[in-house]
Amino acid sequence: MPAASVGIIANPASGKDIRRLVAHASVFDNGEKSNIIRRVLLGLMEAGVENVLYMPDPNHLVDGAAERLDLGSLSLESVPIPGAASAIDTERAAAAMSDAACAVVITLGGDGTNRAVARGWRDVPLIAISTGTNNVFPVMVEGTLAGVAAGLVARGAVSLEEAASQTKTIHVQIEGESDDLALVDAALLDERWIGSRAVWQPHQLRQLLLARAEPASLGLSAIGGLLCPVEQRDDSGLLVVAGGNGTVVSAPIVPGNYLDVPVSAFRRVALGESLEWTGPGVLAFDGERDRRLQPGQQARLSVHRNGPRVLSIDRVLHLAACRQTFVRRHGSEDGD
Amino acid sequence: MTAVESTTARSLTYVEAIKEAITQSMREDPSIFLAGEDVALYGGVFGTSRGLLAEFGPERVVDTPISESGLVGMGVGAAATGLRPIIEIMFMDFIGVCMDEIVNQAAKMKYMFGGSARLPLTIRTMAGGGMNMAAQHSQSLEAWLCHVPGLKVVMPSGAYEAKGLLVAAIRDDNPVIVIEQKLMLGRPAEVPEELYEIELGKAHVVKPGSNFTIVALGRMVSESLKAAEVLSADGLDVEVIDPRTLQPLDTATIVDSLKKTHRAVVVHEAVRFGGLGAEIAAQMQEEGFDYLDAPVGRVGAPFAPVPFSPALEREYIPNADKIVAEVRRILGKQV
Amino acid sequence: MPRRKSKVADGTNPPALTDDVLRDIFERMVRIRSFEEEAGKLMESGRIPGALHLYVGEEAVAAGVMVHLTDDDQITSTHRGHGHLVAKGGDLGRMYAELFGKAGGYCKGKGGSMHISDVEKGMLGANGIVGAGPPIAIGAAFSNKYRGTGNVTVCFFGDGASNEGTFHEAANMAALYGLPVIFLCENNGFGEYTRQDRHQAIRDVADRAAGYGMPGVVVDGMDAVAVYETAGEAIARARRGEGPTLVEAKTYRYFDHVGVRGMGVVYRDDSEVLEWRKRDPIDLLGSRLEELGVMTREQMDTLQERVLFEVREAIAFAEASPDPTPDQLLEDVYTVTAGAR
Repeated sequence: MPAASVGIIANPASGKDIRRLVAHASVFDNGEKSNIIRRVLLGLMEAGVENVLYMPDPNHLVDGAAERLDLGSLSLESVPIPGAASAIDTERAAAAMSDAACAVVITLGGDGTNRAVARGWRDVPLIAISTGTNNVFPVMVEGTLAGVAAGLVARGAVSLEEAASQTKTIHVQIEGESDDLALVDAALLDERWIGSRAVWQPHQLRQLLLARAEPASLGLSAIGGLLCPVEQRDDSGLLVVAGGNGTVVSAPIVPGNYLDVPVSAFRRVALGESLEWTGPGVLAFDGERDRRLQPGQQARLSVHRNGPRVLSIDRVLHLAACRQTFVRRHGSEDGD
Repeated sequence: MTAVESTTARSLTYVEAIKEAITQSMREDPSIFLAGEDVALYGGVFGTSRGLLAEFGPERVVDTPISESGLVGMGVGAAATGLRPIIEIMFMDFIGVCMDEIVNQAAKMKYMFGGSARLPLTIRTMAGGGMNMAAQHSQSLEAWLCHVPGLKVVMPSGAYEAKGLLVAAIRDDNPVIVIEQKLMLGRPAEVPEELYEIELGKAHVVKPGSNFTIVALGRMVSESLKAAEVLSADGLDVEVIDPRTLQPLDTATIVDSLKKTHRAVVVHEAVRFGGLGAEIAAQMQEEGFDYLDAPVGRVGAPFAPVPFSPALEREYIPNADKIVAEVRRILGKQV
Repeated sequence: MPRRKSKVADGTNPPALTDDVLRDIFERMVRIRSFEEEAGKLMESGRIPGALHLYVGEEAVAAGVMVHLTDDDQITSTHRGHGHLVAKGGDLGRMYAELFGKAGGYCKGKGGSMHISDVEKGMLGANGIVGAGPPIAIGAAFSNKYRGTGNVTVCFFGDGASNEGTFHEAANMAALYGLPVIFLCENNGFGEYTRQDRHQAIRDVADRAAGYGMPGVVVDGMDAVAVYETAGEAIARARRGEGPTLVEAKTYRYFDHVGVRGMGVVYRDDSEVLEWRKRDPIDLLGSRLEELGVMTREQMDTLQERVLFEVREAIAFAEASPDPTPDQLLEDVYTVTAGAR
């Protein structure tokens, strides 16, 4: 059976924002992203993938990575999107990969990158490689293994249903404007500017809705995580109302910095339960300021389990190993 | 303050004199710092800053990476913002990699800014051959620098001059390049203990004479004195002039000498073609044509890079014999 | 948990983005735009001699950075330096007079556009040599550290200059010595007429920071508030003694390397210019200020008129300023100090 296509979306802008300054993070250079992509491509080839679609970008991350690589019969094609050199590229690329029925999409980026992917293809089958330091959604994984795992799913050696779990999303309806979506956290900030996007000043926080509240994470998710852990598998979210003079939680809002966040209330939120936030303020999604709420303008938020289906590389490789996928009899040309 | 013949003078080597000039200046003025490659912990590859780190600490005696552009540029920026840097370029040959900072930045900043910048920057560098260090560690490139408006250039001919000119360079509010010569490092001379400066732009008549003038740069002063001694046997009473400062050049002292001697030779270690000798000779004929009885002679290195082999380098570098020969040639021509 | 002192309230955090600061940033941008547009017209009509490298399109960078600095903080500038001096509070009349080559100019007519400077305001000169700024900037930063002033130096340079050895030497030394300097790369996509992808293999100059052991940050150079926030953090970091930062602002040069034109040229497509102009930094900030009620459209119009009036006054001053006289030709080559020379 010929393997289905695999998509690659690498965000050239990830790992370079103001968090380098406020969070002791280092710049994640695009050369290293290219190296990861090379290892992903080699992993995909090893698993027998023949078609790879990728998001084109001005940095030529993917095609540049492939340039000095012997790809054999692997065909590498960019998805036809108008380049805008912004997050909209990622969204459009994900939608195009959905149309092309990619079996798996591999992303390189941070929480913001994966959010943009989910905006284009909400329940995308996904392997998310982290290229940053402050991420909840993507994880640090080796490119080779990510490529092999994606390839095994693409060629049907392991099924998506066996190895993926569906993540939650925060659905956001903004009065009079287009809907939005977050994968980990949505926050209403006492702020007027999108500016450099990152969120690192706890005193600006008014409301926080978390799809995942994880004590062992960094960023806004940690605030909830240290109050009342809600894991990815739990069928609920967590609402945190900031402010007041009572409770204070000390959380690593940015790497290296536990900062005090005053909390007046928090509670679990059932899937589908609708919350209303009222402007003025700025809405931040997955740790980045993104949309402005005018005074009196309302946003309606709810947590659902309808997000990206995230593959466990461990699980894929475990199943593949049990099925002797990597074992050949001596003298055989090919494992298939 | 001008030069003083001190009663406290004692014999000091050229390298000690340089170190003393830096040390005493730094004690006097906290805005002075020294930066360069291996100037601090190692004390300078020629020992010109040995012991300074211990006295002044790493804030004021700064080891830098091997980054001459960065180093000289840092001196420019520091000088423009209130400090008085002494920047060491280990070998003069290395100015090739920081020429922009010297020529386009340091030299021109004041003029380009309509006078509003002040650049009390001293750049010390070690020139000259004679130590078999080959073509990239032996050059005498003073002519390059003298050609650039905005720079001052000095070339001490001995330990006394090394201290006095360096002190003057440090105190001057302009970029001054101090060209030291490695072959003189161990050579002693009488040097006053106290801090003194030798006025920039003033030539020194090292040996007065009546019927021939030799203008010699740096180490060639001592070679010229040797030549003068040889030539005295020919009945010549040679006057030896050390310009000390090459830019601005003290043409008046040189022309005054011509008025009595009527014949002259200019001597430097740099290659003859386009060397500073050409400029000095030109000025002599412009300002002193009526006094000249013979063409001005020039002694310099032949037009080749400095060779490595001791046999070749000996041949390459001007010396007393060559000076004597050139003087005799001039006199012969005259007859 | 025991509380450790957070990095707050020691005077070295960026100031809050108040309405006054916002209006200040906006005004600086408007001043730059007006200054440059009028300068471009004067050059095209032959009234300004020589070459001008205009800053139009990049205003958010200068304004967003300079609002954090005092006259005691230095900057080193580039050949495209008018915007930096305007934003640092330069006198428009003396600036135009310099462009005209008049005696009343900042440099008494001896420097012109490419050497415009104001040492009193810490502006250590535009520079005709690409990449000359970084070593000078680390010198000023060294001086600040040496003198214990708490001041910082911002080194403006372009994507083109990031290929000069001087940048690399200075970056290394700044990180080595922990100097209070911000390397602010104005990446306008072109080194003269050569597009970035034809002059370097990377797209983010900020990536180079990693090689020197300093933070590297990319910021949207068309968004004055983003620049304000990012530069503010980098500057605060330098003031706290935490060392240098490389900030890369992605911006765009509306006009050509030299002069105006900018469209219908061989080295880039008009569509690209138009695309960038859609995110014009002044329009972006202006519309947001209006939306927030920080400034009304009328107030902005009044400001534009006032600035244009000041610019015209400045041009009139420049035109009325005398030419330098021949006796000034040899002045200012050297500093003549009492007792010397």
